[in-house]
Formats: sequence, structure tokens, C-alpha cells
Amino acid sequence: MTARSYPDRLAAHAVLILAVAVTFVPLVWMFGMSLKPPQLVFTDPLNPLPLAPTLENYANVFRTANVARQFVNSVVFAGGVTLGQLAIAVPAAYFFSRHDSRAANLLFAAFLLTLPVPFVVFYVPNYILMSRLDLLNTYPGMILPQIASAYGIFLLRQHFKSFPQSIIEAARIDGAAEWTIIWRVVLPANRAAIAALAIFVFINTWNEFVWPLLIARDPEMHILTVGVAQFASGEGGIQWSTIMAAAALATLPTLLAYLFIRRQILNVILEGAVKG
Amino acid sequence: MSYGATSKSSSRPRRLKLLRPYLLVLPAAVFLGLFVYWPVVLVTFLSFFEWNMVSPQMTFVGLENFASRFADPAFYRLLFQSLLYIAIALLGNFLLPVGLAMLTLQLGGRCGDVYQSLIFTPTVVAVSVGALLWQYIYLPTGGLLNAFLGLFGVPGNNWLNDPATALGSIGVITAWKFMGFNYLIALAGLMAIPKEYLEAARVDGAAGWSFVRWVLIPLLMPTVLFVMLTAILQALPNAFVPIEILTRGGPNDASNNLLYATYQSAFQFFQIGKAGAEAVMLMLLLGGAAVWQFRILDRSLTYDR
Repeated sequence: MTARSYPDRLAAHAVLILAVAVTFVPLVWMFGMSLKPPQLVFTDPLNPLPLAPTLENYANVFRTANVARQFVNSVVFAGGVTLGQLAIAVPAAYFFSRHDSRAANLLFAAFLLTLPVPFVVFYVPNYILMSRLDLLNTYPGMILPQIASAYGIFLLRQHFKSFPQSIIEAARIDGAAEWTIIWRVVLPANRAAIAALAIFVFINTWNEFVWPLLIARDPEMHILTVGVAQFASGEGGIQWSTIMAAAALATLPTLLAYLFIRRQILNVILEGAVKG
Repeated sequence: MSYGATSKSSSRPRRLKLLRPYLLVLPAAVFLGLFVYWPVVLVTFLSFFEWNMVSPQMTFVGLENFASRFADPAFYRLLFQSLLYIAIALLGNFLLPVGLAMLTLQLGGRCGDVYQSLIFTPTVVAVSVGALLWQYIYLPTGGLLNAFLGLFGVPGNNWLNDPATALGSIGVITAWKFMGFNYLIALAGLMAIPKEYLEAARVDGAAGWSFVRWVLIPLLMPTVLFVMLTAILQALPNAFVPIEILTRGGPNDASNNLLYATYQSAFQFFQIGKAGAEAVMLMLLLGGAAVWQFRILDRSLTYDR
């Protein structure tokens, strides 16, 4: 499918470069405006580069919001959900990769069926449950319902399937129990896929918005993405340079993570999708 | 008799042994049961009642919540607008990413890798942050879009507050935020097509239209279908946060859809029964589409094995 003619390649490049440009406009303007002096933020909107760059907006964000606390909340929330999802997904994915019985397949289908159920369906019952358990405005309240996802099971099963059964048999003959086999044999051998899944879940949870907002109204428990939105709905008018600085601060961690481990993240999706 | 007795005494440990591997699935089953299956059951149950989430009084109303939805013209408007969101998703999160993936594949090699990384980038940006960035772009005065249009003498607009453009403006945000993910999925599927199939067809003399019709299209079909159905299923969930942050379904419900209206019924108007009925209808719609998706994929994903 490789195009060899020169004009064809040129046209393909042109379209793709246009797509990349549109993709990056909001991000470039975000960083640019976050560095513009507040009074100049709307002058020359077509030029994202600040003429007199300043860190004033960032200082402003740190002054008005407890960014450090929000950062910690984001880390605990995303970290907790990631660990939880791995803890339920690894053994279940291992089970489904090794069992092909009717019952196992039915169970797997039942798990898969949860994937398209829209999240709004869970919000009311889970909110009621969490409030009855007195877990509103707490980390467990934010984290526990978010762990319930079949996505990791679905993705890891594909990777575990290609793991040779002979190695598992050998470990079993040596007397290893199933949990030991998972912990000592399957986990280390698939650590790249598991790490990539972890990164992916972490980034997605870091970027969550509605559930952490619903369950934790207390500003002390806001995560970064919720905190940014508070700037936009703040009383006394919207200060765009401050919003952009807050948005940049919330985006930098995931953007940096993506910059450094881009290949692993892309590969887990590429492979999961292919084998799925 | 003694034979029966031994078989009975040994069958219990054996059954236990058979069940033991299922312990591996137990943690996942507990979490999914508590936070997914149970909510589905509860929401369905609540859809037969009138309740405001806090009052101890719940009134059984039978199918009234469903009937009142079908009798309400606003419901059909929500349905229509949901289809509009899906149509936008088909353009922005299906046709566009599949097209871009094909172009990327044609270039191949290092160029392809660079485009892959760049186009995927919005996936790691929070959708709430993305919504705010686009709120700036759409600003009537000082916003980027109107400034850009001004270059060509095109008059600007108050994009998010104009009933004619609010829904489309939200749709563009979701296209921007979620296109990269579907692009990568499309790329994955296209890269998985065994090159030997294409070579073999060429050797057999398939060329031109017959090559496209009988070789290329059947091979591309599974991937194309998968991305298309993902785009359809995700259209409403993807639009949720931008709507919540930017328009709350307005102005005058112009950017609302079934999913967001369900959320409003529950958390804004505290009409849990109405929200339940809407949620059940959503589940049936999306669940049906998903079952259909798995079916089609099952049938068409055979070349991989």
C-alpha cells in the first residue's frame, strides 16, 4: 500500500500536516496565552507567542487555588484507580486466556457487555451507595467505583493468550500454585503490556472529570481537572490568562509522560486493537 | 450402592476443584457486580417509580415514566439531536481518522511514526481542559476563531450561545479530542492486514477496480467497521463533559442529547424515575448497537487467526 509516486506522497504529507496543525492549535495557544501578561491576553489573538512572557499567571493560579493539594488528589485518585484496575484485571485476564469452556466464555461475554453501558447509568446508584457508606468527599468514594472496568481484562487477555502454555505447565509440575504462577511467571513476562496498560489507565483517570466532581464537592478534594474548571466558573468574571496557566499545569504531567513513553503507550493500543 | 456413595463423596472436592480457577475472576466479578451490574438493576427498578433521591417516599408508577417520555415532543428532539451528534462523530471520529490512517500507512516508515505520535496527542489532554481551550477559541470577542475568520472578512459568531451553532461547536470539540484515538485504532487494524494476501492477489492478476472490490475492501472491512461502531457508541459519552462545562445542553436545549438529559434529570432536577427510564432506553440503544458490533466483528475478524 506504499505510494511511490512523488506527487502522491506530497499530497499525503500536506493533508497530514494540516491535521497535525489543527490538532496542536489549542495546545499552542494554551501555553502561549498562559505566558502572556493578563492585560495583553486578547491583543493580537492570531499570534500565540507572548511578546513579554511572564510567569505572573502561574503565580496567580498557585495563589488562588490549592494546586499542590489538587495535584496530590489527582495522584492518589489516578494511582488508586490504576492499582485497583490492575489488581482485578491481571488474574481475571489470566483466567480467560487459559480457559475456553462454555461457562468461561459466557462470563467473558458478560464482562464485555459492560463496556458500552453509558456511565450516566452508574452515577445515580453509585452516588447513593457511596453516600450511604458515608464515603462522599473521600478517596475511597472517588476511587472504588472507578476500578470496576472490564477494559483491562479485555486488553490483557490478548497478551496473555500468546504466552506459551508449556512454561505454565512446567511451573505447575514444579508445584507452583496458580497465584504464584501469575505473580512469578506471567507478570514478569508481560510487564511491558501491563506497564503500558497502567500508564493508559493512569492518564485516563487523571483526565476524569464528572465522577470526581460529583462525589467530591469539597474543594479540598478537587482533582486538577476539576480545579481548572472552577477557574472558568469563578465569580467576578473569567480571567483567561489564569485559566490557560491552570490548564497548562493540569496538562503538563500527562503531556510529559506521553513525551517520554510515547512508543509504549501507542504500542499497547496498537497490539490490543489488532488482536481484539 | 457403595459405588454411588463413593462417587458422591468424591464429587464435592472435584466440584470445588473445578470451581477453584474461578477465584481468579472473583475480584473483578465483585467490583463489576457492585458498581456496574447492580446499578443497572437498580436503575431499571427505579424507572418504575417516582422519587427525588432524598425523600423516603417512593411512588410506584408502572410504565408511566416511559410513556411520558414517548408523549413528550422534547424527547424526540433529544433523539434527533443525539443522531446529529452521531453524524458528527461519523465524520470527525470515523471518516477522518480512517482516511488519515490510510494516508499515514502510504507514507510508512519514520514519517508515519511521527504523524502517529503527533495526531494522538489530544488523547492525553483532559477533556475538561480541552473544553476550556475551545471555549476560548469560540469566544465572540477576542476568540481565535472569529479573529481567524476576520482575516477573510467572514463575520464572527457567538458560537456556543447561538442555537444554530452550539451543537456543531460541541461536536467539533469531541472530534478534536477523540479523533487521535480512533486514528490509532484504524492504523492498528490496517497494519495487521497480512501483506502476503495483497501480494498473492497481485500475482493472481487482480488489478484496478477488481483488486479494490474483491481484495482491498474485504480486508479493510473489519477495521473500518470497528472504528465506525466505536465512533457511534462513543458519540454521546464523548460530548458529555464539553456540554457540562460549556453549554449545559443550552441555549434552549439546542446542544442537548439523550445522555446529557438523563444526567440532568437525575442530578439537576432530581427526577430519578424519569432519569431511570431514560437510562434504560439508552442502555437498550447502546447495548443493542454493541451486541451488533461484537457479532459483526466475530464474523469478519477471521483472517487474523
